[in-house]
Amino acid sequence: MKRIKVVITGLNIVSSLGLNLEENWENIVAGRSGVRTITLFDPSHNETRIAAQVPDEFETYAARFCKKRIAQQMTRATRMAFVCAVEAVQKSGVDFNAADRRRCAVILGVVSTGNTSVERENAPRNRIIRNMSNAMPAWISLHYGLEGPNYAVNTACASSAYAIALGYDLISRGSADIVITGGADSSINPEEIEGFNETYALSTRNDAPEKASCPFTKDRDGFVLGEGAGMVILESDESARAREAVIVAELAGYALTSEAYNIMAPLTGGEGMAATMRIALRHAGINAGDVDYINAHGTSTTLNDLYETMAIKQVFGQRARSIPVSSTKSMIGHTIAAAGAIETAITVMSIRHKIVTPTINYHTPDPELDLDFVPNNSRAHKIDVAISNSFAFGGHNATVVLKKY
Amino acid sequence: MANIEIGIRDEVRNVVYEFFSEECEVPRNELSNTTNVIKDLEGDSLMFLELLEIFKKKYKLNVELKTVGKYVVKHPAETIGAIIDMTMLIIEHENNIANLD
Repeated sequence: MKRIKVVITGLNIVSSLGLNLEENWENIVAGRSGVRTITLFDPSHNETRIAAQVPDEFETYAARFCKKRIAQQMTRATRMAFVCAVEAVQKSGVDFNAADRRRCAVILGVVSTGNTSVERENAPRNRIIRNMSNAMPAWISLHYGLEGPNYAVNTACASSAYAIALGYDLISRGSADIVITGGADSSINPEEIEGFNETYALSTRNDAPEKASCPFTKDRDGFVLGEGAGMVILESDESARAREAVIVAELAGYALTSEAYNIMAPLTGGEGMAATMRIALRHAGINAGDVDYINAHGTSTTLNDLYETMAIKQVFGQRARSIPVSSTKSMIGHTIAAAGAIETAITVMSIRHKIVTPTINYHTPDPELDLDFVPNNSRAHKIDVAISNSFAFGGHNATVVLKKY
Repeated sequence: MANIEIGIRDEVRNVVYEFFSEECEVPRNELSNTTNVIKDLEGDSLMFLELLEIFKKKYKLNVELKTVGKYVVKHPAETIGAIIDMTMLIIEHENNIANLD
């Protein structure tokens, strides 16, 4: 069956480095860190007391997008998803009044809506609506009156990359014209942090928050939790061209795999990660030799960064060292369910602006990790093809392949 | 059964209009009895339940939610005017509303 070409016509990001795409891009290109001491709650009882919180003005900003009553029925994470999606749609120029709404879908990566003890203190009502993991796509569909498929997918840190891939499928097989896809997450709360600390997954560098996320370095001691949302508007090439949309990139293909190895640890030697990248390139019809940039999962944990480096070497061979590989998480932390979509958006911006964004805090190289990690500063670099990796607890792996349009 | 006094309809009307004006962030003078709660105000089905709780307390009504629910299924109240009418019926008949056609 002939696949319909899938293009991207809108992007948006909410993160610790900004409330929209433009702010985020400027700060990420500048190599700034969004990590700081937690203020969302009193973290003094937690081993980790730092995170990449979305700026404090978010709630005021969000009030422009939805009425108070609706906002009260949403958690902070759901509000991030909603605001991010509405602005992504605006940027795409899609007019749903002119579209067949039954062929417009919403697929989001959602691990949790984050209706935690901190949230419930401030908003004790609407517990079911606020808890529902399908609430994020549901609110977006309600807002626009979209009647196509509408659901959430949970594959932990790969959730929104999975959502993008599933959106690709809907369009490429002709079941939808437009898919709002992405994800949101706000896991900065005492319970999540305590849980991640139990697994030794988080950095405890509380005295130097902005330096704590240092992927691929010898100093890395765990990831930094972030929060935010990322949205990617997928559209059939035909639909986008018919309405003379600005097409920002092509989503050329993807791979979704499961390592079936361990609930937390990645498969030894990065074999699962390598297989995912290989399958994604094959699906996209791209040769490994044509990849110009890799937006790494790059969490700043011991095993992920080691195995991802090994996997890249397995897939790209001798050429691996000449491909820029960078980690957005060095600046905005790990946004869990939002990470795949945020990093896809950054990768698309890199293609459009011919700039690779840096891995900041890269000061002490790990001799075992010897790729070009774009240390500390952005770099001009022409990109025709790029990949973005997402590797999750549970062995859920995803790679998306993006092409210049 | 609650005692329906003269002027109670004005009181109910006032509470209902204030409620929708506040919850939906719409100026009161833009609301009318024909305003549709879902379509015009982007309201939701929980709003009627919240109003019912307000009136239960205000008039010490002996009425169960499930009884009202059964009646509402047969007689949907979608506009502000219809909600005021429904509230008046509930105040008048309380749980006996289930016996109405």
